[in-house]
Amino acid sequence: MTSPPTFDRQLLRRLADLARLHVAADRQADLQGRLEKIVAAFAALRDLPPLRDGSEPDAEPGVTLRPDLAEPPMAPADVLANAPRHAGGAFVVPRVVEA
Amino acid sequence: MTTLWQASARDLAQRVQTGATSARAIAIACFERIEAHDDRLHAFVGLRRHAALAEADAIDAAQARGEALGPLAGVPIAWKDNLVLAGELATAGSRMLAGFRSPYSATALLRLQRAGAILIGRTNMDEFGMGSSTETSAHGPTRNPWGSDLVPGGSSGGSAAAVAADFCPIAIGSDTGGSVRQPAALCGVTGLKPTYGRVSRYGLIAYASSLDCVGALARTVDDLALWLAVVSGEDAADPTSRGQAFALPDPTRPRVDLRGVRVGVPWELNDPGLDSEVLAATHEAIARVTDLGATLVDCSLPSVAHAVPTYYLLAMAEASSNLARYDGVRYGLRRDAAVRCEAMMAASRSAGFGDEVQLRILLGTFALSVGYHDEYYGQALRARQLLRADFAKAFAACDVILSPTSPVAAFPLQSRIDDPLAMYLCDALTVPASLAGLPAISQPCGATPDGRPIGLQWTGPADAEGLLFDVAGCFQRHTEHHLRRAMP
Repeated sequence: MTSPPTFDRQLLRRLADLARLHVAADRQADLQGRLEKIVAAFAALRDLPPLRDGSEPDAEPGVTLRPDLAEPPMAPADVLANAPRHAGGAFVVPRVVEA
Repeated sequence: MTTLWQASARDLAQRVQTGATSARAIAIACFERIEAHDDRLHAFVGLRRHAALAEADAIDAAQARGEALGPLAGVPIAWKDNLVLAGELATAGSRMLAGFRSPYSATALLRLQRAGAILIGRTNMDEFGMGSSTETSAHGPTRNPWGSDLVPGGSSGGSAAAVAADFCPIAIGSDTGGSVRQPAALCGVTGLKPTYGRVSRYGLIAYASSLDCVGALARTVDDLALWLAVVSGEDAADPTSRGQAFALPDPTRPRVDLRGVRVGVPWELNDPGLDSEVLAATHEAIARVTDLGATLVDCSLPSVAHAVPTYYLLAMAEASSNLARYDGVRYGLRRDAAVRCEAMMAASRSAGFGDEVQLRILLGTFALSVGYHDEYYGQALRARQLLRADFAKAFAACDVILSPTSPVAAFPLQSRIDDPLAMYLCDALTVPASLAGLPAISQPCGATPDGRPIGLQWTGPADAEGLLFDVAGCFQRHTEHHLRRAMP
């Protein structure tokens, strides 16, 4: 088993990008320290042996899928009521595709 | 005669049903007490006075017409700020949802309203349920009615404080890893986490979906049974909800003793390393349980040793996925300075989420990311499976499992907030039942020498809520811990 990772700036940047978060420069060192300490405390879990029957557990046991049936949707005005910006019955976002 | 704010939910409903007291008088008494004391405690983040009084009047009018009233007619109930009610604000304790007004209602709240309950207001909570002290709320902390320099526990700290301060007989909470039971213990009230899926989560703002449960806090076990009878049951809007039958005790024929009940006391949850005052109160409670005729049974839950990292890795991983929905587009806070869409999302999320939520999202993202997924998230799933097997083995030999609820009694504000690991350990005794999806109840069983309440936790097999009510109700009738009041 490898040792727990070092939370350097590169790893923090990668995680922040994946999580769509912006970590300000003055918070980086503190955050790296906290992440590293917590992951180190959790690292003993990595030594658990595989399950005896070789099975893999479910991420969410006990979920029953409901029938795939269309149901009446929420009214568009209700859906848009909490949107920070909307126009013409649509959510407004910054440009996604470059011209 | 018991004053209105001291009466149980069952008593209040009976008074309203018989016309002995009006629902309006109860609601007014409740709001007057909140207005007199909540400036100091900050249990509530929003009150619904006008609508609540109108609903109380409608119940009184129905009573005057001789109509049959629901089992919670006129009972004032508070709800945690992460359950949505149509037309009302819901913030989950976060800047991210400031101003969010829900277009629909949570099933649990709708069922309460249909039973005649008066929903009085939203209670404070740790942001998105992420905390054990209610200090991570964007609305500021809630203070414990037993001492204004003490935390009420969390994340349902506002609900626990509201019941402990006698603002209302029942308050709704949610319990992902102990967020009903731990604040119940720290505030000296009774709290139930039902079996996973027992109560619909439709309308509960998601934190960790394989663990989230809607629960409740009350002064008596009997009121929790009354609450569960109303809100439980299958709901087509929540595919994890369960329709399995469960028997509730007959309130007119309470259990007189605990003869025939096999009580497991696993040493892993009753470890000598726990706070000595908590252990002493637990040992006294175990002696009382034995006096009442219960048989103590040796049992072991070896996988509890891994429960805290298992819980936090799974909860953080699921939170990182669930909270991806807050992108500044459909609802929630938005920072529009950025030109590009992804930068707008990152700016909005960083401005809207507090430090603890961002920390947990980053840890969850780490646990799910390429290179670390199997060693962390995958191993946590396996550890949960082992813990479930431990519980199944234990329940072959005993009917219920007894332990303290929290390793410590209420601690001072600010004393743990800068040490996440110390805060996470507050949940060490509650996360095992959460990981196994089992029902558990916390009730008062003593106090520290300086008067801070201590909680006792009963855990049962799936669908054994009736048995938990039975044994915890019996313990309550034979002890007086639940009668201590935090405030005059």
